[in-house]
Amino acid sequence: MRHVADQAYLNTLVSAMSTRLFDATLIAGLSQRSLSSLSDAFGLAALLDEQPSNAARSRAIEQSIVNVLLTELRILIRPMNAEEQGLVLDWGRKYGLYNLKTLIRGKLYDLDPNEIRANLFDLPSDIHDSDQALLRAENVLELLRQLEAGPHRQIARQAREAYEQQRDPFALEAAVDQRYYVGLVRRIMAFSDHQLVSLRRLLGAELDRVTLLWLLRFRFSYQLSPSETYYWLVPSMRLLTRERLLRLVNLETFEQVLQALPPPLDALLAESKSIADVQQRIGRYTLTEMRWVLARSQSGVARALAYLMLRETDLMLLFAAVQGRLLGFPDETIQVALDLIEPTCAHPPRRLSASATAMRAT
Amino acid sequence: MLRPMPMKHVRLLALTEALPRASLALAETESFHPDERAPLESQLAALPGHAYRELYSQAHTRLDKIARLIAVDPPDGIGQVRVVDVDELRALDDWLGTLWGEASSYEEDFRRLDDAERLVKEQQAALQNFADLDIDLGMLRTKTRFLDIYIGLVPRENLRQLDGAVGLANHILHVYTQRGDNAHVVIVGPTGAKENTLGAVLAAAGFQSLPIPEGLDREPAELQRDLDAQRKTIAEQRQTLRETLDDWAAPYRTRLVEARHTLMLAEPLVTLDPSLRSAGHLAHLAGWVPARAVDQLRQRLSETLDGAFDLRVRNPLPEERHLVPTVPVKSRLLAPFAMLVNQYGIPAYGEVDPTPLFALTFLLMFGSMFGDVGQGAVIAMAAWWLRGKLKGFWPFGVMAGLSSIGFGVLYGSVFGYEHLLPALWMSPLSDPLLMLSIALGWGVVFLAVACLLAIYNRLVVSNWTGALFGHHGIVNLIFYLALIGGSWQLGHGENLGLLPSVLIVLALGALAVYSWRQQQAPVGEKILVVFIETLETIIGYVSNTLSFLRVAAFSLNHVALSIAVFTLADMMGAFGHVLTVILGNIFVLVLEGGIVMIQVMRLQYYEGFSRYFSGDGHAFAPIRFGRGPS
Repeated sequence: MRHVADQAYLNTLVSAMSTRLFDATLIAGLSQRSLSSLSDAFGLAALLDEQPSNAARSRAIEQSIVNVLLTELRILIRPMNAEEQGLVLDWGRKYGLYNLKTLIRGKLYDLDPNEIRANLFDLPSDIHDSDQALLRAENVLELLRQLEAGPHRQIARQAREAYEQQRDPFALEAAVDQRYYVGLVRRIMAFSDHQLVSLRRLLGAELDRVTLLWLLRFRFSYQLSPSETYYWLVPSMRLLTRERLLRLVNLETFEQVLQALPPPLDALLAESKSIADVQQRIGRYTLTEMRWVLARSQSGVARALAYLMLRETDLMLLFAAVQGRLLGFPDETIQVALDLIEPTCAHPPRRLSASATAMRAT
Repeated sequence: MLRPMPMKHVRLLALTEALPRASLALAETESFHPDERAPLESQLAALPGHAYRELYSQAHTRLDKIARLIAVDPPDGIGQVRVVDVDELRALDDWLGTLWGEASSYEEDFRRLDDAERLVKEQQAALQNFADLDIDLGMLRTKTRFLDIYIGLVPRENLRQLDGAVGLANHILHVYTQRGDNAHVVIVGPTGAKENTLGAVLAAAGFQSLPIPEGLDREPAELQRDLDAQRKTIAEQRQTLRETLDDWAAPYRTRLVEARHTLMLAEPLVTLDPSLRSAGHLAHLAGWVPARAVDQLRQRLSETLDGAFDLRVRNPLPEERHLVPTVPVKSRLLAPFAMLVNQYGIPAYGEVDPTPLFALTFLLMFGSMFGDVGQGAVIAMAAWWLRGKLKGFWPFGVMAGLSSIGFGVLYGSVFGYEHLLPALWMSPLSDPLLMLSIALGWGVVFLAVACLLAIYNRLVVSNWTGALFGHHGIVNLIFYLALIGGSWQLGHGENLGLLPSVLIVLALGALAVYSWRQQQAPVGEKILVVFIETLETIIGYVSNTLSFLRVAAFSLNHVALSIAVFTLADMMGAFGHVLTVILGNIFVLVLEGGIVMIQVMRLQYYEGFSRYFSGDGHAFAPIRFGRGPS
């Protein structure tokens, strides 16, 4: 009873903010709307008018989406205790990690600092320390020395090897993502039972999705060995546990992995033809889980996190639709892009050629 | 003294090329606080200082990085003031970039030596562990025909995941020790195809191989000596590297000091960058200047720019009030009190600066609550003795001590002894009721003055309604004074009185009507809010006044504590008596002194500042040399 009273304000806040989530009709119509219609409906006119180029417009909208999310995040954490705030802030810190990845890539490929800066998110200090010092590093080795002196020292060591051996940031980005999710799991496991059940369901669904997609990509697209694939995965506390992953990575084909998945993933993903297909199906499943937590959970922090994840997905859908229009894509192409939007905009690590265009992949 | 220094808004139009010179002139006067708002003229959209700022920031960062390796002395003051144009700044930045390119390789060499030393230390730790094993360690050094062996370090947080991964490659992982963030591991498995896949996993896990030294069959002490020798060699290499670096840096030192000086001269324009706008050759700059410094500023600009500028000066507009900076208190004696005021907030422009009033009332309350000649002298002397460490705060301690001494003389108290010094007035405990009455009276005066200041602050910004009906406004003050007047009469056995009763009813009625009209809510909610607010007004003023009883309570408490100390001391022998009195005084000084300090601050912040002081201003920060860009 005391728990319910403690969470009353937070739960009310989450319920009030949930009215901002896009309804199914709105989402279904996004790909058919013109740029002016999107601009009018979502108040993007000023953002679009002020920017000189499509690239700048796209960037301004992306930054504005991050601002909206982080503003809502800060509103939501106000009534939370320190433990809950820590979890939600850690979730929001992924944008800081995007900046870190962008910086490392930019330095690895020796890009102009202004170009790197243009690709960094402007983030508040409680989410992410300033990147100015890292940005001012004049070469990769200097950047790595700075990283080694900070909280990312272990990542920096891997970065050094990635740089010295192959100038490929894959290992580094995989390490950044892995540590991000491991950190979230640690945070969740520190919660007491009444919060833990909901958080486990929410983050477990998200981790199942991320881990399965990573497993399929690493194993069958990048052709990594079972041991290396396993090393980069983050075991979930729900379906894709450590023991299951050890079994799955040892399988030789895409189809074998899908057949060996535990229920309900086996039925959900049966007869998927490609990783993109899996991505769509498991994405929808994860969204359903998030909506369940938002609607039914007793845990305020789990509901707040579910709201933020759903809100992020909505805003990424909007961003994809606007970007599609800015680039002049037809409705069908935009719809395909919308179908591939993942529940969170966590970009998986990827192997890249050493070209400057790689920057855009972040 | 309570009023803020009058400020003027100035708008400077000058040639874009003359901006570096203008910035130096503004920095020299130390009276120009930039206004970062964009000008109304849309043509003035370019940012002429932006490229300059970028160059400056890069050069400054490079110099700072070089200074981490080579000590660069600060220049002796600002010296000769000269214009640093963009070309000079670019040339300096390029030179610093080249220099840092070379210096950076030294930093990388130092890092390698650190890594090497760390590895030797880990080896020493590993050998310490191996000493207990009954196996031929020489075998661990090379691959065998059937076994693939890795010995090394892994970050502890990667251990669990690595364990699963090496298992998939048919290897086993054994942790034989853990040190700091790292685990020492042995990974063993069959030689074969899967061993090739392990390399990538180990690299991903940050595995660092620990080379097993030659001759493991030798005495452990001998091996340790070898490793010690390696560490010594590394230390010598570091020393040599340091000397090489010093030799390399020697020809550059003078120029590096000059570079720092050049950057100091470039700072003013960089600081102005966010406020600068231009259109072609015309540059625009706006800011806030103390009214008394405007003529001096105009004259300095005239000398520097040969009259090629336009300076428009006007008073701040009412809607700009929140943008006008407040010039801080200059007095050395008041500076520590200003620091405490600033902990609450900086006075907004136009608002009464509470620092002098705060200083006076703080000293009065602290002294009256902690009046003792001896203990006050200890506080004052301690603040004087520690003035080096306390920096600008020491006058605060000295004045608090002197106030305590002053009231100690009035109370006749020296280290708690009440018979050594005849009281100029009386001991607080001799008439507690009088002390409480005086404290209550002090509270009434304090609250009434706070209300008057709140009214004044609103009148200054033409907030007439706020001054009349707002919190602690005129109607509130009338109610409060009527309440006090009525209570006084009740206290003297009379009835409340007609005038106080009428004033109380009218004031509360006016406040209720005002509150009613301010609300946009259903009638039921309005009634509830008005009722609660009226009740809060009555209870608030009564409780806030009673809150000042603590001033008397602590003066009584001080005497009572001293009596307790002496009672304990009297139960001891001669030595015990002296010791107890000394320890008791220290106890009173530290504990009660601290509590009194907190209570006075509480009265100031809660009963005073919250009534009349918004604290939402911002401090006057003129551009000047050596401050650094914001």
